[in-house]
Amino acid sequence: MQIRDLPFPDPGMPDARSGPHFLRWLGRNQLGGQLKSLAWGLLHFGSIAVLPYLVGLAVQAVVDRDGGRLAMAGVLMTLFGIAIALGDTMLHRTAVTNWITAAARVQQLLARKTAQLGSALTRRVAAGEVVAVSTGDVEKIGWFVEAVSRFAAAALTVVLVCVGVVIYQPALGIVVAVGVPVLALAVLPLLPRATRRADHQREKAGRATELASDTVAGLRVLRGIGGEELFLDRYRRASQEVRTAAVRSARMWAVISGVQVLLPGLLLIVVVWHGVNLARQGRITVGELVTVYSTVTLLTYPLRHFEEIAMAYSFSRPSAKRAARVLSLQRTTHAGGGLPDSTEIPSGDLYDPATGLLAPSGRLTAVVCGDPDEAGRLAERLGGHASFDDAEELPSVLLGGVALDEVPLSTARTAVLVQDKDPVLLSGTLRGLLDVPASGAVSADEALRAAQCADVLDALTQASVDEAPLDSHVTERGRSLSGGQRQRLALARSLITDPEVLVLDEPTSAVDSHTEARVAEGVKELRKGRTTVVLTSSPLLLDRAERVVFLHEGEVAAVGEHRALVHGEPRYRAVVTRETDEERAPGAPHDIRAGRTTGTATDVKTGIKTGTKTGTETATDIEETA
Amino acid sequence: MIGLAPPAYDPAAPTTADTLPVGAPATVGAYVRELVRRHRRAFALLITVNTCAVIASMAGPYLLGDLVENVTATARDLHLGRTIGLFTVALVVQAFFVHQVRLRGAMLGERMLADLREDFLVRSVGLPPGVLERAGTGDLLSRITTDVDRLANAMREAVPQLAIGVVWAALLIGGLAVTAPPLAPAILIAAPLLVVGCRWYFKRAPSAYRSEAAGYAAVAAALAETIDAGRTVEAHRLGERRVELSERRVKEWTAWERHTLYLRSVLFPVITFTHTLVLCSVLMVGGVFVLEGWISVGQLATSALIAQMLVDPLGIILRWYDELQVAQVSLARLVGVRDIEPDRGDTSVVPDGRDVLADDVHFGYRAGVDVLRQVSLAVEPGSRVALVGPSGAGKSTLGRLLAGIYAPRDGRVTLGGAELSAMPAEEVRAHVALVNQEHHVFVGSLRDNLLLARAGAGDAELWAALGAVDADGWARALGEGLDTEVGSGGFALTPAQAQQIALARLVLADPHTLVLDEATSLLDPRAARHLERSLARVLDGRTVVAIAHRLHTAHDADVIAVVENGRISELGSHDELVGAGGAYAALWRSWHG
Repeated sequence: MQIRDLPFPDPGMPDARSGPHFLRWLGRNQLGGQLKSLAWGLLHFGSIAVLPYLVGLAVQAVVDRDGGRLAMAGVLMTLFGIAIALGDTMLHRTAVTNWITAAARVQQLLARKTAQLGSALTRRVAAGEVVAVSTGDVEKIGWFVEAVSRFAAAALTVVLVCVGVVIYQPALGIVVAVGVPVLALAVLPLLPRATRRADHQREKAGRATELASDTVAGLRVLRGIGGEELFLDRYRRASQEVRTAAVRSARMWAVISGVQVLLPGLLLIVVVWHGVNLARQGRITVGELVTVYSTVTLLTYPLRHFEEIAMAYSFSRPSAKRAARVLSLQRTTHAGGGLPDSTEIPSGDLYDPATGLLAPSGRLTAVVCGDPDEAGRLAERLGGHASFDDAEELPSVLLGGVALDEVPLSTARTAVLVQDKDPVLLSGTLRGLLDVPASGAVSADEALRAAQCADVLDALTQASVDEAPLDSHVTERGRSLSGGQRQRLALARSLITDPEVLVLDEPTSAVDSHTEARVAEGVKELRKGRTTVVLTSSPLLLDRAERVVFLHEGEVAAVGEHRALVHGEPRYRAVVTRETDEERAPGAPHDIRAGRTTGTATDVKTGIKTGTKTGTETATDIEETA
Repeated sequence: MIGLAPPAYDPAAPTTADTLPVGAPATVGAYVRELVRRHRRAFALLITVNTCAVIASMAGPYLLGDLVENVTATARDLHLGRTIGLFTVALVVQAFFVHQVRLRGAMLGERMLADLREDFLVRSVGLPPGVLERAGTGDLLSRITTDVDRLANAMREAVPQLAIGVVWAALLIGGLAVTAPPLAPAILIAAPLLVVGCRWYFKRAPSAYRSEAAGYAAVAAALAETIDAGRTVEAHRLGERRVELSERRVKEWTAWERHTLYLRSVLFPVITFTHTLVLCSVLMVGGVFVLEGWISVGQLATSALIAQMLVDPLGIILRWYDELQVAQVSLARLVGVRDIEPDRGDTSVVPDGRDVLADDVHFGYRAGVDVLRQVSLAVEPGSRVALVGPSGAGKSTLGRLLAGIYAPRDGRVTLGGAELSAMPAEEVRAHVALVNQEHHVFVGSLRDNLLLARAGAGDAELWAALGAVDADGWARALGEGLDTEVGSGGFALTPAQAQQIALARLVLADPHTLVLDEATSLLDPRAARHLERSLARVLDGRTVVAIAHRLHTAHDADVIAVVENGRISELGSHDELVGAGGAYAALWRSWHG
C-alpha cells in the first residue's frame, strides 16, 4: 500500500475482540510494508555498524604508513555512506508509510462505524471517548505498529554486530557481547515510572487547557460582570501545576539520559582497559582497538529502539483497547424487522397508536404537548426505529398502514424526516450544508426564502473569505450564528429534503415573533400538499396549522383549529398562552409563591382580553409592514 | 513516485476571516527578546552545564588518542591506571552534566511556556467587551488550545535543545581545531552540501508541516462532527456522505504527508551523507597529514572520534529548527492579542443619575454600512423598555450600545449625562449589565461561579442571591453545597439552573440598569415560565431594556420600541401600539388568536 493510494477502498473488517487482537490485525494487514521496512532497516543499521571497521582500517593504514589502504578505506567509506543514506531514507519512507496507512485505516474504520451507528452511538459510549480514539489513540496505535519492524531491524543488527565483533576480535568482542544486552535492558525498569509521570503531566496539562478554554468561552460573561482576577488566579495555579508536573517528569528523563551516558561509557572504559592491555601484548592492533571502541559508541543508536518499542507498546496498549471497544459496537436491531426486503417507501396518513395522534396525508398538523421531553420522544417515534430506552415497549407508528419500525431503517428515514429540537449544522460551505439527499422538488433558494434566511446569508458572507453566499463557510455547529439563525438554517435544510412526511420539533423556539410568523407562512406554502407535523406551543405556528392536536398526559385530548381550541379548551390555552400553571406543578411550592408575590411578565390574562380580535389578513398585514 | 509539488488543496488556508489580529514580526521579535531577558539566568545556567557536559564528553576521544599514540610508540610508561581513572572521572562528570542539561532545559522550557500561556490569558481577559462581542470567542479559543499546544513542544524541547545543539556543535568543532589545527578546515568540505540541502528544505518545510497538521486535525474534526451530529446524520441519511467526507479528509491529509515525506527524502540523505563525508574527509585529509608528519596518529584518532560525535548536535539542530519555524506562526497568533489596545477609558467620566439616553445615534460594524440610523431613545430610571422587531433589524446592536459595549459612530449614548463609551469597562458594568443567551457555567465550584460577580462575598450573601432567584432549593440539595463542582465535567446543571446562576450573579453584581438580550430564548417554554418569575424578582426596581423575542415580554413593558431596518418605527406602550394598528398590533393579534 502506497500513501498515494489512500484512502483504502475498503478498510476491511477489524478483529476488535481485544486491543492486542486489533494490533495484530493491523500488523497482518501491512505485512508487505513491514518486511520492506525491515529490509531497509537492516541495510541502514548494518552499514552504520560497518563504519567503525572502516575508521579502524583507515587509522591502521596510517599507523602502517600505507597510503593505498588509506585511499581504499576512503572509497569504502563513501560507498557505505551512500548505503547509510539510502537505508536511512528508505527506512524512514517505509516506516512513515506504515504509520500513515495504519492511522488512515483506523480513521476510516472509525468513520464507517460512527456513520453506521448514527444516533445510537452516543447512547452506547461517551462521544468524547470516540473523539479521543480519533485524535490521540490512532497516533499511538500507528506508532507501535510502525515501530515493530524498525525494532526488529535494530535488534537483528545488534545481534549481528555482537557476533561480528566476537569473530573479528574474540578477546575484546566477548566483552562487548556481554555488555550490550545489559545496556539494552538497563533503562527498561525506569520507563514505567517515567511514562507514569508523563501521563500525570498530560493530565495536568489537559486540566489547564480545559480551564483556559473554559475561561475564554465564558469571557463575555466575565467582562460583563467581573471576576477576571478570580479566574486568572485559578488558571495561574493550574498552569504552575503543569510546570511542576512537567519538571517532575523531566527529572526522570534526566536520570534516564544520565544512565544512557554512564553505562555505555563504563563499557567503553572496560573495552579500552582490556584493549590497551591486549594491544600492549600485541594480541590486537591499534586499528582493531579503535574499531571496537567506535562500535560501542555507535551501538547506542540501534539500542535506543529497545527503549522506543517498550514505550510504544505501553502507550499503544490502552489506545488499542479503546479503539477495539468502539469498533466492536453494534446497532441493536429493533425487535420485529419482519419486512427486511421491502424498500418501497410507504405513504399515506401518519398514525401513532400509542397516543392516538393522526396526521392526515398532505396536511399541516400541529401538535401541542405540555411536556417538552415527551414531545421529543413522540417526535423520535414518529420517524420509526426510535433508539431511546423504552421505545420498544410502545407500538410502532404507522405510515399508510405500514409499521415504520418494521421497515428497514433507511426506508423509514427516507419516508419520514424528523428534525429534533437541536438539529446540528455541519461545518463546511453553505452549499455543502444544504446538499442533502432530497426529492429534488425544492430548490435551496426556495427553502432559504421560506425559512427567512436572508439575514443568515448576510451574516455568513460577512464572516467569510469568499463572497458568494453559497460558498460562505458555516463554522462547526453554526456557532458564529445566533440561536434563531441556526434554527432557520436547519429548517431550510429539512425543507430541501422534501420528505414524504416532515416532523419538526419546536423548529422556531429561538426565532423572534416577527420572523417566526413569516417562517410559519413560508413553511405552510412550501409544504402544500405534503404531510407535515409540527410539535410546538407557539401560537404563531399553531394559528397557521390546518389541524391542531392537543396531547394531554400522553393521549390526544382535543383536535381542532387553534382559535377554537384557545377558546374551548382551558388546558390548551394554559399551555400555548403560557399562563402560570400552579395546579400542574404540585412539586414546586416556591414557584407558586413567586407567581403570587411578583407581577410577572408571564401574566398575560389581560392580553387575552384585549387581543381576542383576529383577522385572516394578519399575514398580509405583516407582509406590508415588513 | 514521489510528490514534487505541494498538493493543491491546503487545509491550513483560512476559511473564515481571522477575527483577531496576528502579531507582526516586530511584535513577535520584541516579545521573544523580553522572554529571553526574563529568563536570562536560566539560559546562562543551561549553557554552562551544557558546556561542562560537552567538554567532559571529549575526554574519551582524547584519552583514547593518547593511548593509541603511546601504544604505537610502544612506550613503557603508559600510566594506564591513571588514564582509566581520568576516563572514569570524566564519564561520571559527563553523566552528571547530561542529567543537568536535560533537567535545566526542561525547567527553562516549562517556565517560558507557563509565562507564555499565562501572559496570553491575562491579555485575553483584558480585551475590551466590544472586541469580544464582535470577534466572538471562537478565534481566541482556538489560540489558547491549538496554538498553545503547538508552542508547548517548541518551548519545552526546541528552544532548550537548540541552545544545547548549537553550543555542543561549536565546542566539538572548537575541540577539533585545538586537537589538530591543520585538520579543522577538513570538516568544511561537507559544508556546501549541507547548506544547500537545508536551505532548500527549510524554505518549504514550515508551511508544508502546518498544512499537514491542519489536514490531520481535519480528519479528526470530521469524525467528531459526525458523532456530535449523530441524530441529524441519521435523520438526513447523511451516513454515506460523512464516510465520503472522512475519506476525502484522509486523502487530503495523506497527500500532505506524502509531500512532507518527499521533502524529508531530500533532506535526510543530505544530512546522513554529510556525517559520513565529515568523518571521511577528516580521516583522509588527516591520514595524509600523518603520513606527511604534520600531525600524530593520536591526533588523528581523536579528531575522527570527535567528528563522529558531531552527528548528535547536528541532528538536534536540524530536528528542532523545524519545530521552531512551525511554532513561530503559533507564537504570532498568541502575541497578536497584544496588538489590540485595551481600552483604558476615562475614569473622570462619572454618571450623575440613572437615566439612559440615546441621542441621534448612528452605528455600523463596517465603514459605510450603518446598522442603526438616527436612533433616539430615552429610558427613564426604573422603567421597562422592550425592543421588538425582525431578526437583523438592529435591536441587539441597539441593546449593546445602550450597555456601553460599542461606541456610536455618530451621536451619544449617555448614562446620567456621562458618555458610556468613554468610561472604562470595569466602571460601566457597575451600572449596566448586558444579559444574553450565553449562560456560561464555569468549570469550578458553585461558589466560584457566583463569587465572580462580587469578589469577597460571604456564603450568606451567596445563599441569599440563590434564594432570590429560587435556586436555593436545588442548590442546597447538592452533595457539597457551594463547593459542588459544576460546569463541563462536574455536576451537570440544566439550562434553567444555568440561567438561574446567571441571574444570581446579577443579584450579586447589583447593577441598576439591565439590558436583556434573548435571555430566555433558548430554553423550552416550560422552563422559561419558571425562570421568568425569578427574573422578575431580579428586575424589580431596576431599569430594564429587554430585547424581546416573545410578545408577552413586550406586553408588560412600559414602552415598546419596534426596531425595523435600523430605525425605531413605532414607539409607545402596548395599548398605544395595539391601538395604532401597525406592525406590532398585527403580530399581537396573531399571537393571541
